[in-house]
Amino acid sequence: MNANQQNLKALAESLVDYGRRKGASEIEVTVVETSQFNVNVREQNVERLTEAGTQDLGMRVFVEGKLATAASQDLSEDTLHRVVDNAIARARLGGVDPYAGLPEAEPIRSSAEELKVYDPAVLKLSPESKIAAAMKVEAIGLADKRIKKSTGAGFISVVGAWYLANSKGFSGSFHRTTVANGVGFQAGEGDNLLQDGWFEGATSVAALPTPEAIARKAVERVARLIGARKVESQNVPVVFEAPATADLLLGFLAQCVAGASVDRRQSFLVDKLGQKIGSDLVTIYDDGLLPGGRGTSAFDAEGVPTRKTLVMEQGVLKSYLLNTYYGRKLKMASTGNAGGVTNFYLAKGSSKPADIIKSVDKGLLLTGTIGFGRVPTTGDISTGAFGLWIEKGEVAFPVAEITISGNLADVLKGIEMVGDDLELNDTIAGPTVKVAQMSIGGKGAAKG
Amino acid sequence: MGKIERREFLKLAGTGAGAFLASGLFYDRLMAGALPQAGAGLFDEKFGVSKEVMTKVLGVALSKGGDFADLFFEYKVVMNVVMEDDIIRQSSENIVRGVGIRVLKGQQTGFGYTSSPTPESMTQAALTAAAIAASGAKLRPADLKESRPDKQVYLLDKPFVNAPLDDRIALVKEAYAAALAHDKRVIKVIANLLDEMQYVTIVNSEGLMISDARPQVRLGVTATAQEGKVRNTGSGSAGGRVGMTFFQQAGKTPKDVGLRAATEAVTLLSAVDPVAGDQPVVLGSRQSGVMVHEAVGHPFEGEGIWQKTSIVWDRLGQMVADPCVTIYEDATLPYLRGSMNIDDEGTSTRKVMMIENGKLVGFLHDRLSARILGVEPNGHGRRESYRVVPICRMNNTMLARGEATPEDVIKTVKKGFYALTYQGGQVEDTGKFTFSVNMGYLIEDGKLTQPVKNATLIGTNVQVLKDMELIGNDMDYFLGTCGKDGQSAAVAAGTPTFKIRQMTVGGRA
Repeated sequence: MNANQQNLKALAESLVDYGRRKGASEIEVTVVETSQFNVNVREQNVERLTEAGTQDLGMRVFVEGKLATAASQDLSEDTLHRVVDNAIARARLGGVDPYAGLPEAEPIRSSAEELKVYDPAVLKLSPESKIAAAMKVEAIGLADKRIKKSTGAGFISVVGAWYLANSKGFSGSFHRTTVANGVGFQAGEGDNLLQDGWFEGATSVAALPTPEAIARKAVERVARLIGARKVESQNVPVVFEAPATADLLLGFLAQCVAGASVDRRQSFLVDKLGQKIGSDLVTIYDDGLLPGGRGTSAFDAEGVPTRKTLVMEQGVLKSYLLNTYYGRKLKMASTGNAGGVTNFYLAKGSSKPADIIKSVDKGLLLTGTIGFGRVPTTGDISTGAFGLWIEKGEVAFPVAEITISGNLADVLKGIEMVGDDLELNDTIAGPTVKVAQMSIGGKGAAKG
Repeated sequence: MGKIERREFLKLAGTGAGAFLASGLFYDRLMAGALPQAGAGLFDEKFGVSKEVMTKVLGVALSKGGDFADLFFEYKVVMNVVMEDDIIRQSSENIVRGVGIRVLKGQQTGFGYTSSPTPESMTQAALTAAAIAASGAKLRPADLKESRPDKQVYLLDKPFVNAPLDDRIALVKEAYAAALAHDKRVIKVIANLLDEMQYVTIVNSEGLMISDARPQVRLGVTATAQEGKVRNTGSGSAGGRVGMTFFQQAGKTPKDVGLRAATEAVTLLSAVDPVAGDQPVVLGSRQSGVMVHEAVGHPFEGEGIWQKTSIVWDRLGQMVADPCVTIYEDATLPYLRGSMNIDDEGTSTRKVMMIENGKLVGFLHDRLSARILGVEPNGHGRRESYRVVPICRMNNTMLARGEATPEDVIKTVKKGFYALTYQGGQVEDTGKFTFSVNMGYLIEDGKLTQPVKNATLIGTNVQVLKDMELIGNDMDYFLGTCGKDGQSAAVAAGTPTFKIRQMTVGGRA
C-alpha cells in the first residue's frame, strides 16, 4: 500500500471510531478510489478524451437496530463528521428492524493478485496506445463495404480500490483493473437501418481480445441484420445466442434470485428452493472467486468473503443470492452477494452452436433484445427482439421489429440444448441455448 | 430527535431567479448559519473558489489551443426515506460535490473532473481537458460577468431541503398506509420519498457566469398483490421540481399515489395476456408520454443529427407525421420533473417546436451540436453530474392536445389494445423502438374490457408518426428517468389519450 492508500484506509477506520463514540451501535465505512481514462472515437476522429480520479465515501450507521446510510464526495474531516452526526440523528427517527446489522467479521483469504484481477500493465498503457486501439477497432469496421456508419468506438481503462472498515473489527482493502474496447455500427438502407456492435472487457491487458477480433465480431453482428423484416406472429423454438442468454435469460434470472426480490415476494422463485424449476441441462453458478473475472473480489460490499455458490443444479433451485440482511430475513446465511451478482453464469453443455441451429426446423435465432419487458414477480417476459430466422436447420433471413414473449419458468423448463461456447467475459455470461417454444409477435392481424 | 433542527424557509430578495436556499439538513449547518447571497458566491464561500480562481482555471483549460472551455460546479444533497415492512427501514443522505472541466476544439472534447475543487486539483483536471487541443492560437478567457436565470420554473415555497425528516416520514407513511389498506390482497408495499437540491454554477471562456438551485422530488410506491398463486406488482408516483405543498393537490396526495400502486397490483390479478399481432392501439394519457419521449424525442437530439446517425437527420421541413401531430419540448413549463431555468451549459431554456402539424421543424441542441450545425443552442445540454460531459437531452416532451374526448378516441376502435402504464421503453438511432406495457386493456366494441398484462408495443418512429390519427383533449404527465450514454436524466413527458391506426402488439401468439 502506498501512502495515499494507507490514508484512505486510516480515514475509514477513524470514521468508524468517531461514529462509535457519537452513539452508533454499529457503523460501516467504505471508501472507493477510482482513476479512469476514456477515449471516444467516431468516424476516425477522437471525439472525447476523459481522464479523472475520484474518491467516494459511503457509510451505514445502525442505532439500536435502526438504519441510516450516507455518502459524500467531500472527504474533509469536518464534513464527514457532520455526515456521521446527521446519520446517527436520522437513524434514531427510523423503525427498529430486527434483521438490521453488520455481519460478523470473517477473515479474508484471497488477494487481488491471487484472484488475477489486478494487472499492473493496465497502469502502464499509454494514452496513445489506448487511442490507437479505439481508432483501430473502428477503422477495421469502416473498411467493410456493408457498414454504413460508425456509431462510435471507445477504449476505457479503470483502476479501482476499495477500503472497508466496520465496528465489528473488519478492515480490508481490494483493488481491480478493468480495460474495455468496443465499437458500434449502422448498416442498411432507407428507413430500414440496423445497428449493433461488440464490446469486450477484461481485468488484464492480456485477456482483452484484439481490436481485430472485436471489430470482426461487431461487423458480422450488424451485417447479418441487413434487410431484416418482420415475420408472422407464431409460437416457435428459440435459440438464444450466447450474449442473448446472458442478457435476457440470466440477467433476468439474477433479478429473480436476489434476496430483496424474494423477501419482497417480487420474484416468481419465492418458496421454490429445492424444487425442480429448470430442465436437467440447467446448472448455474455465481462465483465471486473466479480468477480474472469481471465481478471477482475477495469480499463483498459489506466485508463478507465471496464464494462460489451453486444457484441451480440440473434444474433444481439450490440457492438465492443473499446479503446479510436478506439472509437473516429469509433465515439463511449470506452468500457474499451484498454487491449483487459477482460472476453469474450458466454452465456450458455439450452441443455445438451450429448443431443447435441445425436441430431447428423453423424458429428464431435470438441475437439481441430491445426494451424492458421483464417482470420478476411473475417471471413474464415480453420484449422487442432481433435475430435470424431459421428454416430447416439453416439461417434463412434476418428479422427485426418483432417481440418475443413467454415466462421464465417455462423458458428454464424448456431448455432442450446447451452449447459448449461459454465465455466468461462479463459478470453475467452463458452459452448458446435452445428453448422449446416462445411466442413471436409480428406481422398479421391479431387473432383470438 | 433534537439533532435535526426545524428551520423555516428563508427567502432571499424574494423568490426571484437565482435565489439560493439553505439546506436545513446539511448545508446551512456546514455554513454555520451564513447563507450565501446568491449564485457563484456559494462555491466561493463554501469551497474557496473565487472568480479569480475560476478565470485562472479557464485559462489553463485553453492553454493548449482549445477554442472553448467551461467549468461546471455542482453541490447536491439527496435525501431518501424508505418505508417497508411497516417501519421506516432506511434513510440516506448523499452529498455530491465537484467540478467538471471541459475544453472544446472543433468537434473534439477534452474532459477532466475532480471531487476536490482545490486550485491544484482543478488545474490538474484543466490540463487533462486542455490536452485535446494540441495546437492553435491560444485564446484568453473573457472576463466573467455574473448573470441570473431569466425565469423561475421551480416551486420553492416549502422546499424539502429545509424540511425536517419527520415531515418526509409523515408523507411516506401516508402513502404506504393507503396502499396497504386498499385491499387485503395487497401483501407488500414499499414507499419512498427521494428529494434533492442541486446547486450549480457554470462559467465559461466567453464570460458567462450563471447559477441555479434546482429542487427535485419524487414520491414512489410499489405494491404487490396476491390471490392464490397469482402475484403482481403495481406502482405509483408523483413529484417534480416542487416543495411540500405539491403533495396537497388533488390527485397528487400521498394517499393518491399509494392507491394508484395498490389498484394497479390488484387489477393485474385478473389480467390476461394480450392478443399478439397488428391492431389499432389507444395510448392512455397517464404514462404514454414515454412513447413520445422514446419514439420522437430521442431521434431529434442533436448528436444524432450532426453525426447523421438519426433516422430523421435530413428531414427538416418535411412532413413526417399526420397533420394532427404537434410535438414540442418545453423545459419552461413550471414545476415538472424535467423543468429547468437554464440547462447545464448555462443556456436559457425555451420552448422548442419539433413537429408542427405534421411537419418536422426543429431539433434539440446543446452547444456542441449547435456550433457544428451553425445554429443557436436551445437549452438542451444536460449532464447527470460534474463527472460526465453535457449531451443533448430532453426535458418535458409534449404531444399537443387534440379535440376528441378520451372516450371518443376509444369508441373508434372495434377491436384493439389500450395501454395505461409502462415499465419502460427503448429506442435506437435507427428509429426502432419497444415499449413494455405494465397494464393495459382489451378494447372491444369501443369499450375497455379485460385488463391486460405482459404486452409489448414495437415499431419504428417513422411509421408511428404517420399512424397517429386521433388525439384527445386530456393531458397527463409521465415522470421518468431517462438513460443515455450511461447518464440518467430526470424527464417528464405529457400526452393526451391518442390513437395509433395500427401497431404491432407482442404477447402470446
